[in-house]
Amino acid sequence: MILTVLALLGMQQGIADRLSGRVPADVGAVVESLGTSAAARGLPIDPLIQKAIEGSAKGVPSARVIAAVRLVAMQLDTAAAALRAGGMISDTLAIAAGAFAINAGMDAGDITNLLMRRGGQTTVNVRLELNVAGTLVAIGVPSAEAADLVSASLQTGRPATDLLSLPSLVQGEVARGATPAQAAAGLARAAAAQARHGPPPGRPQPPPHPPSSPHP
Amino acid sequence: MSEYDFHPLVKQLLDGDITIADLPAELRAEGEEALRLLAAVDRSPVALPAIPQRVMRALTRPPQRFPRWLLAPALALAAALVLWLGRSHGPMATPGSEAAITVHFVLSAPGARAVSVAGTFNQWDPRASPLVRAGANGMWTATLKLPAGQHQYAFVVDGVRWVPDPAAPAVDDGYGRRNSVLTL
Repeated sequence: MILTVLALLGMQQGIADRLSGRVPADVGAVVESLGTSAAARGLPIDPLIQKAIEGSAKGVPSARVIAAVRLVAMQLDTAAAALRAGGMISDTLAIAAGAFAINAGMDAGDITNLLMRRGGQTTVNVRLELNVAGTLVAIGVPSAEAADLVSASLQTGRPATDLLSLPSLVQGEVARGATPAQAAAGLARAAAAQARHGPPPGRPQPPPHPPSSPHP
Repeated sequence: MSEYDFHPLVKQLLDGDITIADLPAELRAEGEEALRLLAAVDRSPVALPAIPQRVMRALTRPPQRFPRWLLAPALALAAALVLWLGRSHGPMATPGSEAAITVHFVLSAPGARAVSVAGTFNQWDPRASPLVRAGANGMWTATLKLPAGQHQYAFVVDGVRWVPDPAAPAVDDGYGRRNSVLTL
């Protein structure tokens, strides 16, 4: 009990140190409180700190920064619940990835479905899947289709890092006139076929590694 | 000179190196006086029975038990110290960071006087990662090494205007603007 209390006090001091000089005092006090409470619930605190620093860097009034940080805390709670519902003993990074996906517009139920359809993948891959799914939603793919595409791609047996190429593949299809939903559905069908029959002969594989630049 | 600062020969007499007969005649009185003083000294052994007994008691005393009620606070302090040390030293470990990946940022801003990129990878510091003008066509570029994971960022034009990357996906930043997203 005492250990826990002291650990949380240390956590609070750590938050204060990171916020020192970066946010107004009133914002700092709220974030310290929210962060300590979040840590006690097993949630990551970095997204809260980042959001506070971001708001202050952008010159946003304190009240709005606090509101944004509270929203992030809620998203973290929602993500943690979705991961638990999906049978995932989650770590803080997976929860942060889930919160990002939720902020991008992904439905918590789709996160749970995605996790339930995956096999015995490692927690590292959960973060990757949720980050990619969130990015797909951010470019306009509907939440359920994003989960379907990530799930289907996992079934192909290719390395999980191949998921990183999915957003650029969708954007490529969109550039050719498809909607994001159509692009994601087409790629998911192709992945499902590949999972059943193997890759089509002569068809080039997606790059094994993600593009190294947002502007390749 | 002190009261008993004897002649060196007298000191030899006291030490037993010579006898009174070996002294010159003028020193014999001094030698006899020294011998008389020496004889008056009580040479019986000094009895200090309490000291060895106290020493032995200290050596054979069983070690005192650490009070149990102090154990939890002591462990807690140790844990807090470990936490503090972990926070104070070494670089803060970026969650999930693996090998750094080179990322090339580009923005077309012909009228800008300065452009930088700020995001989760540099604590949203607009001064941390400036872009440089590339040629005369208003292109600004910067190359950064970022850890694997998901990053959010925006360009900062002329130090005041936050602009999302038009070539990257974006999400709501919670402040009425958009943050660009980069997943590595």
